[in-house]
Amino acid sequence: MPTITFATSGFAVDFPDNDDVNMLRVSIRNECGVPYRCASGNCGTDRVFIESGAEHLSAPRKRERERLGPLLEQGWRLACQVYAAGDVTVSWDPEQRPLDERAVDRSLPSASAERLQRRWLAVDDTE
Amino acid sequence: MTELLSRDDFRAALEQAIVGNEAKNASFSLAWANGDLSREHFARWAENHYHYVGPFADYLAYIYSNTPDNCTDAKDFLLQNMYEEELSDVRHTDLLIRFAEACGTTAERVTDPRNMNAVTRGLQGWCYAVSMREHFAVATAALVVGLESQVPSIYRRQLPPLIEKYGFTEDEVEFFDLHITSDEVHGERGYQIVLDHATTPELQLRCLDIVRAGAQMRFSYTKALYDTYVAPDLVPA
Repeated sequence: MPTITFATSGFAVDFPDNDDVNMLRVSIRNECGVPYRCASGNCGTDRVFIESGAEHLSAPRKRERERLGPLLEQGWRLACQVYAAGDVTVSWDPEQRPLDERAVDRSLPSASAERLQRRWLAVDDTE
Repeated sequence: MTELLSRDDFRAALEQAIVGNEAKNASFSLAWANGDLSREHFARWAENHYHYVGPFADYLAYIYSNTPDNCTDAKDFLLQNMYEEELSDVRHTDLLIRFAEACGTTAERVTDPRNMNAVTRGLQGWCYAVSMREHFAVATAALVVGLESQVPSIYRRQLPPLIEKYGFTEDEVEFFDLHITSDEVHGERGYQIVLDHATTPELQLRCLDIVRAGAQMRFSYTKALYDTYVAPDLVPA
């Protein structure tokens, strides 16, 4: 039975043979402590360093490649984006922050906030 | 059911309530995964799917308003889910329209409610009714456990043929890629809300019944897509 070892928090979770499981979902369900915010590959809060078992992980898709950039080649993956099909060990910085603060903090400028602001400014409220 | 189920037993019962009605096994899903559909069929799917998932933040907002102030974990989950549907990145319905346009239909056709079939209209109405009228744990069981948590298992089968057989680009199918992973987490957190807040045998039973009903609704919706748009194409001229 394969195991995901969450080295930073000291948890290990088994899952059935011939199955593959989403790493962040396993962490949330078993309270293994991987930090996360958006869960859609947008903020990067849930990045984990692959200590071993990278060959048992699903190939990175568009959102993960774009969010991680060069971190991907250095051995980092996004727990929300990756499926494990065999033994793997991961670690992370418990204090780590999003890679893009704008992805989770609307007090900072974002495309949608700027769009809304333009719309508000376009309304003539003197009439 | 007169006794409160343990957390593990209740979770197993919720998962079992979907078994037999998984939308991934409906005729339209199987034809999609097998590469038997055309771009026109995908376009009709998008014109229906928009009206089921388009108001998802609205459904969640009704549940949010029915959730007591002291259930902060549930309220935060609902708000985060709404935010991700609409504002955190590209609006999810914009990704659906992007795929629809790649299939040859238009944003105008996708957003026009006259282009959904009657079963889709029924699913949308059921989502509104449940979210407005039910206890927040029961409504979360219906929409998140019964419906949303099924998404990864459906799209993980449907995404590969879109790229490998039909030649869609990664940009064009981002709607599916996004939901495979985000709904893993939404589904898991939805289970947690239900496990934490369905605290009486009566509430647990209502959750189980409505998860079963939700799975039936999604199965029927998916089957109706095949019956309405695919089956007629199989009749010899």
